[in-house]
Amino acid sequence: MMRLTHEEQAMLDGKDGPVVREAIDYVIQLGEAFGAERLVDIAYCHYPAEMAIYEGSVEELCEYAERGGKVRVPTTTSTLCCDLERPDSTGCPATLCSLQAQAESAHRSMGINDTYTCTPQHLGYTPPFGSCNLLVESSAIIFYNSVLGARTNRGGLLTRYSAVCGKYPLMGYLLDEQRRGTHLFNCSIPDQRLATADGWSALGFHIGAVVGSAVPVIDGVRTDRRDFLIALGAALATSGSVTLFHLVGVTPEAGTLEEALQGGDPEHVVAVSEADLDAAYRQYCTVDTGGAIDFVTLGCPHYDLAQLRVVAEKLDGRRVADGVRCWICTNRLTRRAAAEAGILRPIEDAGALVIADTCPVESHLRQSTCREHALPVPNVRAMATDSFKMARYSADLIGCRTALGGFDQCIAAALSGRWR
Amino acid sequence: MDRLWRVRKVVRGAAEAEAIVCPGSFSFLGDVELDIAVICARTNPNRGLSIAGKVLVFDESKGSSGGCVVLMTLARSGLAPAAIVTVRPADFNLAEGAILAGVPFVCEPDGDLLGAIETGQVLRVDADGGTVEVVG
Repeated sequence: MMRLTHEEQAMLDGKDGPVVREAIDYVIQLGEAFGAERLVDIAYCHYPAEMAIYEGSVEELCEYAERGGKVRVPTTTSTLCCDLERPDSTGCPATLCSLQAQAESAHRSMGINDTYTCTPQHLGYTPPFGSCNLLVESSAIIFYNSVLGARTNRGGLLTRYSAVCGKYPLMGYLLDEQRRGTHLFNCSIPDQRLATADGWSALGFHIGAVVGSAVPVIDGVRTDRRDFLIALGAALATSGSVTLFHLVGVTPEAGTLEEALQGGDPEHVVAVSEADLDAAYRQYCTVDTGGAIDFVTLGCPHYDLAQLRVVAEKLDGRRVADGVRCWICTNRLTRRAAAEAGILRPIEDAGALVIADTCPVESHLRQSTCREHALPVPNVRAMATDSFKMARYSADLIGCRTALGGFDQCIAAALSGRWR
Repeated sequence: MDRLWRVRKVVRGAAEAEAIVCPGSFSFLGDVELDIAVICARTNPNRGLSIAGKVLVFDESKGSSGGCVVLMTLARSGLAPAAIVTVRPADFNLAEGAILAGVPFVCEPDGDLLGAIETGQVLRVDADGGTVEVVG
């Protein structure tokens, strides 16, 4: 049985009303399932926004908000199935968009910040090193844990209840001993292979498949670029369920190899070479050189303002080829900032779309959603991207071919409609 | 050949149904079609089979934390698996989905479960009693 404080026991006894009572009851159930001894206060929550494509999800949220659900900690939201500020931009059916808009009202009434993004770190939600938090969105979870040292497990549907009672069981990656590196990956990879984000994504995809749910310590490669660390983490959490990685000399709990291993020995030592990256590319590059591309996605995970600026500069007034959809994905606040900074207009004049709140995989483009809403299936033939996460999920959920390459290659594919 | 394993309970309940046995890791987002519960991942040997009402057995969870939402949505449509068995320790994310969806969930069998059973065999999962048994 879990040890509760007087405050927690009072919540469970209904002092703060039935909504809070129910919330802490769920959180206690979760803790008991994993043998946690007690609860802790959390500093921040990233919440799985109810998506209209999930049957009954928005309706259930609205009822919950009407019952008086309010969050107690700073809380942000993950992605939606459409771009709510521009409901026509993605081709999402109007019925789905209007249902999705109800979720936005409910989130606001619950005191949740309507960020609708997979990268809340871009908006300044960066709790302190060592703090206890609860996040969803596998790419955010791994970034907060690994790069910020802000602790979290892989949150799920009970995140709502943690946000409402402000508590989470003390277990998993909140504990020092769970943060010890288990697998040492000695990388011997030429620098030029890691000069762009797709290289880090390939490295993460390879290591994630090997390490599964354990804690990789990655040695022999370095970067100080936040976008590369985000790319690495997103891929690690796609082929595996990696919640925490250590990059020796870079991430805060891995100043040295010894620190990452907490003074112990690794359970496994694995060599990583260029050939491993090649194998990852072969798996997800299923478009021949010169083959047609009809969709280009950049911004997986969601871009920040600096990255949007690079897109605008790279497009440099040229036009996206006819018949190619080019989505640059970000959050709504960053898109507004881009408009103010004069970055949005040149990107969209070129024929690309800056999409907020969603992405191709989270949107209506999935085969299952298309079937339910009588949309053409499949409506994407070949997608170019620099993210293994996007390639893996679009290959299996949208059912398209994928081309995996660097940022420049993706822009070139958008301009020519061909993969080179 | 083993026919009974001790397991650790994650989410309460019991079920008896045909097994879908996935030798590797499994992601509810990306590996299964939301509207029909059919496995769609190119890398899964059970591609084309439905997990609805089955005992889903796999090594461990991987991938998106949207997985628990997919599980909950399948449950709302009556398409959830009857039970989930993982060889490795349970994933926090999936456990949250299983608690809300009311799907019995057990993990860490005391022997080589994946090597001993095949898709189509009937399993009885008793989370509260802490056992998984081959019954047909």
